[in-house]
Amino acid sequence: MRRPLLILSIAVFGSCVLFRQTLERDPVTHVLLLLPALAVAGWLMAVSLGRHRLRLREADANALTLLGVFAILFWMLPRYIDASLTNPLVEAAKFISVPLCIGAVLAVSWKATHPFLRGFLKANALSMLGVLAFLYIHAPVRICNSYLEVDQQRLGYGFLFVALALSLVWAVPLFFPADGGATPNKHLSGRATA
Amino acid sequence: MADVKAEPHTGAVKFSMLIAGAVFALMMVIGLVMRAAQGNLIELEAPFFYQLLSVHGAGMVGTAGLSGAAVMWYFVGRYVPLSARMYWAFIALFLLGVVFILTAIFIGRYGGGWTFLFPLPAISGEAWEPWAAALFMLGYVSIGVGFLLYHLAVGYPIMKHYGGFARALGWHVGFGGADPADAPPPAIVAAAAVTIFNTIGIIVGAAVLVASLVHLLVPGFAVDALLAKNMIFFFGHVFINASIYMAVIAVYEIVPEYTGRPWKTSRVFVLAWTAILLFVMAVYPHHLLQDVVMPPWALVLGQVVSYLSGIPLLAVTAFSLCVYLHGSKMRWDLASSLLVLAVAGWSVGTVPAIIDGMISVNKIMHNTQWVPGHFHIYLLLGVVAMSFGFMAWLVRGTKASESGMSGLDRMAFGAYALGAAGFALMFLISGAMSVPRRWAVHLPEWVLQDRIATAFAVLVVVSTLVFVIKYAVRLGRAPG
Ligand code: HEM
Ligand SMILES: [Cu+2]
Repeated sequence: MRRPLLILSIAVFGSCVLFRQTLERDPVTHVLLLLPALAVAGWLMAVSLGRHRLRLREADANALTLLGVFAILFWMLPRYIDASLTNPLVEAAKFISVPLCIGAVLAVSWKATHPFLRGFLKANALSMLGVLAFLYIHAPVRICNSYLEVDQQRLGYGFLFVALALSLVWAVPLFFPADGGATPNKHLSGRATA
Repeated sequence: MADVKAEPHTGAVKFSMLIAGAVFALMMVIGLVMRAAQGNLIELEAPFFYQLLSVHGAGMVGTAGLSGAAVMWYFVGRYVPLSARMYWAFIALFLLGVVFILTAIFIGRYGGGWTFLFPLPAISGEAWEPWAAALFMLGYVSIGVGFLLYHLAVGYPIMKHYGGFARALGWHVGFGGADPADAPPPAIVAAAAVTIFNTIGIIVGAAVLVASLVHLLVPGFAVDALLAKNMIFFFGHVFINASIYMAVIAVYEIVPEYTGRPWKTSRVFVLAWTAILLFVMAVYPHHLLQDVVMPPWALVLGQVVSYLSGIPLLAVTAFSLCVYLHGSKMRWDLASSLLVLAVAGWSVGTVPAIIDGMISVNKIMHNTQWVPGHFHIYLLLGVVAMSFGFMAWLVRGTKASESGMSGLDRMAFGAYALGAAGFALMFLISGAMSVPRRWAVHLPEWVLQDRIATAFAVLVVVSTLVFVIKYAVRLGRAPG
């Protein structure tokens, strides 16, 4: 067990609970700050409890990753975000399921997931963030009861920025892998540093 | 995956090229029918013309993509181990998409064009129901997902094997001053570049497709029309260009067998491919030169980069080809002839394209047949000729009696080159006379060119049938 990470995880989760109302007042902080922070808390928890001791088979890892993705999709639906503001049960479900089913599950499964599935999910995540941006910026109606149309548009731009940021974060290592590539070409072995 | 060794998946690729050849032939017949209808040689109901135009556009672009993908898969397989299962998944999704598109067009009567430009698919004036437009787009989604899998399956092993895309693109040679002997082979440089920009194109395309689908299902959800147009043309431009850039790998890999000199990755070659990688994505605004609401800088960028984009690679490829051909004992057969023709056709085709890329010219020419004129040159005489050359090479004879060109080969080759050039030239002439593109019914003054073009198209169709049937027959005969 790694205690500092555990403490950090609890601290993140605690702040989420503590600043719940402030963060939920604005859909941008609600969706782009509170939800990711909850997931991070779950991730840290799984890491601190020693996820490396789990030896997952690839098929199980793939299945778990898909579970995590479904949880993400679920919490992207406006109606559940809306419901979590009015229904304490849904709110509780959010505070439990996001750390566990998204953060912890992906912490355990992601690395062992098949690289093709990982790449596919990343590409899809970018496309879908684009779709959300499209729809939220131009939606003619209020999608959430609790938030205004202007808020919804700001959230749309937020999705767009997240998509751009993620595409950079994900693309750069493809060009310059940290390990210099697992099995570089044999006749390149005497190469200068990239 | 580690125990798989690098070898081309000959069977799967031969199968793909059989499909591609057959669909090319079929879509050409449809093109012929459209051209004959414009020339009043046959009667077509206008809505049916637009269904044919949609299936011709989508079918040709999709098939060009498929054949480019097959070429690239084959040759990348020489250098890195590839997953055959992923390839079959790609083919399955591709064919599923084809079924959706055909159903949407021929049963659902969708006729909104291959560019599904927002909001046209949703406002058909009752010509087709929303479900037909939705099914058409779902067909694209399926093909797009297939291509995404394809590029993951190509990109990942390349990245692993060459230590990241920077090295696969040869940047250590292009910018780092490393010895060109350390560079990956041309096929890998090309495959890495295409994989990067086509994946980006697909991600953008998927976003606008899904948003358009939502709009069809919930019409209240409008999308921004100008943004949608930008995204659609970004995707369309990148995708059709990717098909050319994938198919050209056949030239790099096959021509050396005929000249006896290997095609090497040089520093200039690396720089040209890096230029393509950037510019192919920056030039798409040349499709929007008529949209006066676009920011002027974007249009100027589109114009300027249009010059820069194609030229370096084309120059490098065409120039190297001349150098390799010159002074080597080239063996001419159907495959090598078609491949050399393809590089020539591709080069010639960019000239009218660049002319159209000038904002001042584009104001007048854009919606005329000048546009189909230029792209039919580098599609018919470029991509399709490369595909047919690759097919001929796949089933090339090994016996001495089968090397060289038979009389039939010679005739088919000549008819194809002449037919395609003449056919495209007639489009250019019509365009220069301001005949609009995409019109089902032509005025009497325009009909003469239409009829001459129809005759040239017959030559193309007949010679294509010769190529494809010969391929199918030899495929049946060849072991494996
Ligand atoms: C015998 C060969 C061919 C014939 C007879 C033919 C005929 C035509 C005709 C008549 C049009 C409509 C022109 C207009 O706008 O008035 C057209 C459009 C088009 N063709 Fe072809 N074509 C041939 C080959 C090809 C090939 C090989 C490709 C691509 C690989 C291709 C791609 C397209 C595309 C993308 C369009 C534009 C569709 C649109 O405007 O929505 N064609 N063709
Ligand atoms: Cu273009």
